[in-house]
Amino acid sequence: MTQRDASTQLPLTPAVLHILLALSGGERHGYAIAGEVDETTSGSIRMGPGTLYGSIQRMLGSGLIEEVSPKRAKDDDERRRYYRLTTFGRRVLELEVQRLDRVVRVARRKHVLGDAGAL
Amino acid sequence: MRRPSYERVYAACLRLLPDTFRERFGGEMIDFVARRLHEARRRGVLPALVERARLAVDLVTTISREWGAEWTQTDTDMPPRDNMDIFLQDLRFGVRGLLRRPGFSIVAAVTIALGIGANTAIFSVVNAVLIRPLPYHDPDRLVLIWGTQGKTNQQGVVYADYQDWRSRTHSFSELGAFRGQSVTMTGGESPERLIGDFVSASFLRVIDLKLSQGRAFTDAETEVATKGPVAVVSYEAWQNRFGGDRAMLGKPITLNGTTFTVIGITAPHTEVPLGLPDVMVPIGYYPNAHGLDRGVRGIAVAARLKPGVSYSAAQRELSTVMSQLEQEYPATNASTGAEIISLREYLVGGVRESLLIILAAVSVVLLIACANVANLQLARGAARARELSVRAALGAGRRRLAQQLLTESVLLSLVGGALGIALALVLRKTLATLIAPQLPVNEPDIRLDVPVLIFALGISMVTGLLFGLAPAWKASRTDITEMLRSRIGGGLRHGITRSTLVVVQLALSLVLLATAGLLTRSLQALQRVNPGFDGDNLLTAQFRLPVTKYNTPEKIWEMFERTTTELRSIPGVEAAALVRASPLSQNGESYPVVLEGQQPVKVGDAPMIQINSVTPGYFATMRIPVLAGRDIAATDRADAPHVIVVNKSFAERTWPGQSALGKRIQFGSEGFWTIVGVAGDTKHYTLNENQLLQGYVAHAQRPQVFTSLVVRTKGNPTDFARAVREAVWRVDRDQPIWRFKSMEQDLSGVVQSKKTMMWLTGLFALVALLVAVVGVYGVLSYTVAQRTQEVGIRIALGADAGRVRRMVIGDGLRLVGVAVVVGLALSLGAGRLLRHQLFGIPATDTLTFVAVTAVLGAVALIACYVPARRASRVDPLVALRMD
Repeated sequence: MTQRDASTQLPLTPAVLHILLALSGGERHGYAIAGEVDETTSGSIRMGPGTLYGSIQRMLGSGLIEEVSPKRAKDDDERRRYYRLTTFGRRVLELEVQRLDRVVRVARRKHVLGDAGAL
Repeated sequence: MRRPSYERVYAACLRLLPDTFRERFGGEMIDFVARRLHEARRRGVLPALVERARLAVDLVTTISREWGAEWTQTDTDMPPRDNMDIFLQDLRFGVRGLLRRPGFSIVAAVTIALGIGANTAIFSVVNAVLIRPLPYHDPDRLVLIWGTQGKTNQQGVVYADYQDWRSRTHSFSELGAFRGQSVTMTGGESPERLIGDFVSASFLRVIDLKLSQGRAFTDAETEVATKGPVAVVSYEAWQNRFGGDRAMLGKPITLNGTTFTVIGITAPHTEVPLGLPDVMVPIGYYPNAHGLDRGVRGIAVAARLKPGVSYSAAQRELSTVMSQLEQEYPATNASTGAEIISLREYLVGGVRESLLIILAAVSVVLLIACANVANLQLARGAARARELSVRAALGAGRRRLAQQLLTESVLLSLVGGALGIALALVLRKTLATLIAPQLPVNEPDIRLDVPVLIFALGISMVTGLLFGLAPAWKASRTDITEMLRSRIGGGLRHGITRSTLVVVQLALSLVLLATAGLLTRSLQALQRVNPGFDGDNLLTAQFRLPVTKYNTPEKIWEMFERTTTELRSIPGVEAAALVRASPLSQNGESYPVVLEGQQPVKVGDAPMIQINSVTPGYFATMRIPVLAGRDIAATDRADAPHVIVVNKSFAERTWPGQSALGKRIQFGSEGFWTIVGVAGDTKHYTLNENQLLQGYVAHAQRPQVFTSLVVRTKGNPTDFARAVREAVWRVDRDQPIWRFKSMEQDLSGVVQSKKTMMWLTGLFALVALLVAVVGVYGVLSYTVAQRTQEVGIRIALGADAGRVRRMVIGDGLRLVGVAVVVGLALSLGAGRLLRHQLFGIPATDTLTFVAVTAVLGAVALIACYVPARRASRVDPLVALRMD
């Protein structure tokens, strides 16, 4: 794969960011990704199959993730495929998180959330 | 295991995705949906519903997004934002956009509403007749079995044959016999005619009859040998005829002179094949003498296929049994057979094609409406080019623009769809009342239930996609810089698309006009058919004498003779006679005919003659000419030699070039009848039937308890109903009479379904023409507006008004010309599909095609003339100053 500049991918849409986050813990299949996103965001991001696979298609296209050759558990459906982060994807995720971190720090300094400071 | 229905629908909808995407992710998406719904269902009904809605929105937006990506083939690198987000934003833009142009929105929504409303209304009929399961338990296994005689099919069944089927076949879990026939109920204030059904106990098991009170018949009660006088009353008759009497069970009722005990009342809204009777009694009481003998056809048979047995396997077994019977009883069963037909096919087979033609016609109207709205959108798209180009310049991708336009179109079509459903609700009652009598459904069955609403929603979506595709595609293709540079925006290319759409509209309208035209001409031909008698001022009615009271031929004949005398004495009655089956009343009986001296032929190979019993004066009353010999006379009594009057067709076909008079023929199992007269041909069941071979015998020589009366009156025949009833009551106070109809009502009744079809297609053609003509007008006005400068220059250079007008009209007529060529080609195809519905004209009827082309041309010319006149009045100074 040609080396690309990871920063051109930024900022990420919430869906892409959360898919990357979910895959940062190891390979997952589509439904597991959606489940994990649902869980980690306490249900505030609930992806439908169209959004999920639409994003996956484009992320595959831009080399953020790749498909893993199948090694399924027994009860897994034939149709299910597993995905994992590419090095490029990991790099993009890092950059995005750093960017968000900077945003959060700015927000904290400005007491955007008041003194409760839940951030 | 079957997948739950939502998942099946979801899987089907995935086909709307581009192939590449579906092939790559379709399976995973289905799996995803199954798991998510499984989880949601565990959380409860409401979360499951919410989840379904979310999944549906997700799918719809995915479809439009993926197509957008497909068309543009660009920025696949850019992942979508959350679909819901985009969708809501597009929705906001859409609503705002539509509200900003109320004129356009209203015209478009109303056009779509007309199309969807008409389609929904017609679909509610199609759904009720062709799609909704019949109201029986496991209706797909219900069949009717008819007898066949040689090449003639759908004959009644011989009771003895039916009993052999029961004992010798294994394909059916149950077979039942039934025979509908009116019965006379006495014992009340006046004699009453009830619709009766003579049934076997097994018949009630075949249809799985549900009772609200009491019990059904036992097998012993319905057998001929062990019959018991018991009756089951329908819930409706119990309510209407017996006032919902609470003590109905166990009550005696007198039917045809026999006293039956009521042992059961059906559940409300029970359905019975061939019509719900008022009362069911054991078939052992079937009143016709010898009606259940071997060789006598008369009953109907319903049966239920065993699970896993196919129609063809059951048919094969039945045919085998019939050929065994043919060998065992050669005298009665020669050339006879049996045929199985599914109950649904029997009920709807005859109307399926007309219904589908009407549905096709109405969907063409919707297509035309789509083309029209697409055109309106394009005109608007041109005007919106700037708005779009600015948004594009600000960074909106082409795909996003296309997606947004598509969302807007679908939104518009959904508004149109909602209006359309409202329209369909308004139309439902009228349509159902108009059409239900000609279909095997009741008026309330034609309703907007869930499948119909899903259909309406579905076509609304598809409609939106259809008329939204062209503008969205344009938006996704147009080059931003070109859009910004151009003042009007992609004018030429829009022009071509718009002209194409107009040609499509006009061509489709021509097809509908041709369809309506062919059906109209066909109906006219049908109405011109000479029925062979004079139907003006003719009243008909029927009655059936109870066999217990009229138990000898002499008693029957005496009653008939006195009745005709009483009828003729009514003031204002010119002539009156009795006839067993009056024309177009749908009664009638046919027999294989045998000529004296002819080698005996197999029963099935003999020609069939339709036999009718009449009293003297029948031909005079009906004004049927007696062409040779004599009429049936008063002297043709029971003890006189048996005589018959045959019709012209029978005489000419049997003895070409010879006189039929004096020849002797035999029909059925009765002896020889001598031909004493030849009468004119008449139509008997319907107007477009092939001429039947007919024979008339004297009522006195072949007395039967059922008869019709025909009365020629001075003045409106239906005014005489009361006097006629009283005349019959002067002979027998206990005799009910029914089916009072003027012959004109019967004559128009047999063409009613053709009339309905003609009116519906005519109406659709008219709507289509209107919409299409508005389309032509719109396109021409638009080109005229665009060419104002050019026209101005031409006028400034000396072109006169006439020339400018001709130029614009020429433009319009070119479109019309192309449309006519395309439309006529399509119409010839449509004519072929219609051929079974046509009568007396070929599917390529020249007059129809010339006439509809002329109508389309004339109307289109008017639509062209208005913009042409406007163009010719362009003020060159104003036009030139415009830039």
